Amino acid sequence: MNSSGKKEDEMKVTDILEKKSTRRSFVKNLSIAAAAGSAGLVTGGCVSLGKSEEMGLKWEEYFKSNYRLMTQEEKDETVARLVRLAKIQNDADIQISNQEPRENVLYGYAFNISRCKGYMDCVEACVKENNLDRKAKTQYIRLFEMDSGQLDPTSGDGKYFHEVPVEGKFYMGVQCFHCENAPCIKACPTKATWREPDGIVVVDYDWCIGCRYCLAACPYWGRRFNWGEPEVPKEEMNTKQHYLGNRMRMKGVMEKCTFCVQRTRQGKLPACAEACPTGSRVFGNLLDPNSEIRYVLKNKKVFRFKEELGTDPKFWYFID
Amino acid sequence: MKKIFLSSGLLFLMLGTVFLSAQTVMASGGSVIDRIHAADKPFDSMGIESAHHLPVKTVLAQESYQGGTFKVLARKDSITRFRCSVCHTDKKVLVSDGALFTHGDIVINHGRGNDRLACIECHDEKNRDFLSDAEGKQIDFDHSYQLCGQCHFRQKRDWLGGAHGKREAYWAGERVVRNCTSCHSPHSPAFETKMPATYSLPLDK
Ligand code: SF4
Ligand code: SF4
Repeated sequence: MNSSGKKEDEMKVTDILEKKSTRRSFVKNLSIAAAAGSAGLVTGGCVSLGKSEEMGLKWEEYFKSNYRLMTQEEKDETVARLVRLAKIQNDADIQISNQEPRENVLYGYAFNISRCKGYMDCVEACVKENNLDRKAKTQYIRLFEMDSGQLDPTSGDGKYFHEVPVEGKFYMGVQCFHCENAPCIKACPTKATWREPDGIVVVDYDWCIGCRYCLAACPYWGRRFNWGEPEVPKEEMNTKQHYLGNRMRMKGVMEKCTFCVQRTRQGKLPACAEACPTGSRVFGNLLDPNSEIRYVLKNKKVFRFKEELGTDPKFWYFID
Repeated sequence: MKKIFLSSGLLFLMLGTVFLSAQTVMASGGSVIDRIHAADKPFDSMGIESAHHLPVKTVLAQESYQGGTFKVLARKDSITRFRCSVCHTDKKVLVSDGALFTHGDIVINHGRGNDRLACIECHDEKNRDFLSDAEGKQIDFDHSYQLCGQCHFRQKRDWLGGAHGKREAYWAGERVVRNCTSCHSPHSPAFETKMPATYSLPLDK
């Protein structure tokens, strides 16, 4: 803010700290000092080295800013801290990427309602890929078993568990549609959720205060809230993570489908599209006229769910 | 100490909110449809290096996609008893080996109603290492889409374009798609009825 330090008194503060200091790191240093003081009082200075490293990292984490305001350096730092914390706290060797969106890419999705057989391989793959809470059985994707003629999933059965497909029924998958004009983003009071330039709607889990306004605002059942501490068995954890994607969430924060940002920015298909055995899920770059998704939009009968709401989702349904 | 927590947190929150709102306003573009219409230049997805190494065997398709080439998953490698001509010779066969040699395990469930297809409607009668189409043209097992497409031409058209079937692993990089027979058993092509992989709990909304 004022690292130039023109005023006299500011100069003094800088001198005291013996280094150039931004307001942020100033407050941070102050509070670390305070913490060290109080920790000393309570524990009498018997903090083990591992514990104090963990505490230090957590402090730094507490004072980081919203992901969108971070410089590349700060992004790398927080990623390094989170990787280290996972090692200290769970002895887990994870990788967290902060790969940026690619230019001229806008992700889009199409779902073939005349091909889906309701097998739910997509749901299973998504849970594993995205480290979803096994205890609360969190799932980003919902599949609805529908009577022919219906087109509104609210009238379908989202809890079926019998041999599929059932004669005379069809299956409709619903997940976050990554709306261009997303009501969830507008509802968020802390700007903890936003649309990335490649169209993916993400949540900064460290900035979310868990108010759940976004959940109420989303017309498509796109958001999932962590009522408890998410649990994933260590041996099942996907260690290839992204800061805005499948890194471990905490209790009290919102999460959602990210089009598998950790995969798609590497050129891979989202886990659901890769897992689907029927080819009902088409994914690709909407800005590439040669992509499969563009072929579907141009040549098939497509529609978007609740189009009249003006949310401008990037998820289409189509029929053969 | 708590106070420092709260007040500093609040300060960042306010500053962040003001700054980020400004960003959102600046970033808002046209609708998706407008952006799609405006994008008419092909995207160079080969520029995504991470999408280049597929650990599967592929062959160049003998068809074109959007004027360019693409690859399909090779098929011959996954046919357990290929080459067929190893057995299909003029040599005499013992009756006791009959079960093994006559493909007694294969049930044909392909064709309309009781009008099931016979083996030689797809397999070449003379050279068992090939398939053959209705005009008797030999077709390689790796390119079976040429055979399937003679009846299922709508599906083939969609498959060529990308609305039927699926790409292998990557949306970017070279286009590699599954062959018809990667997903459908040619002898019984319809998908089976089975239990779903998992189930869902009721939504909390
Ligand atoms: S589907 Fe819901 S969660 Fe996803 S972008 Fe739209 S409003 Fe937000
Ligand atoms: S729950 Fe989190 S992401 Fe959703 S509106 Fe509240 S702060 Fe924003």
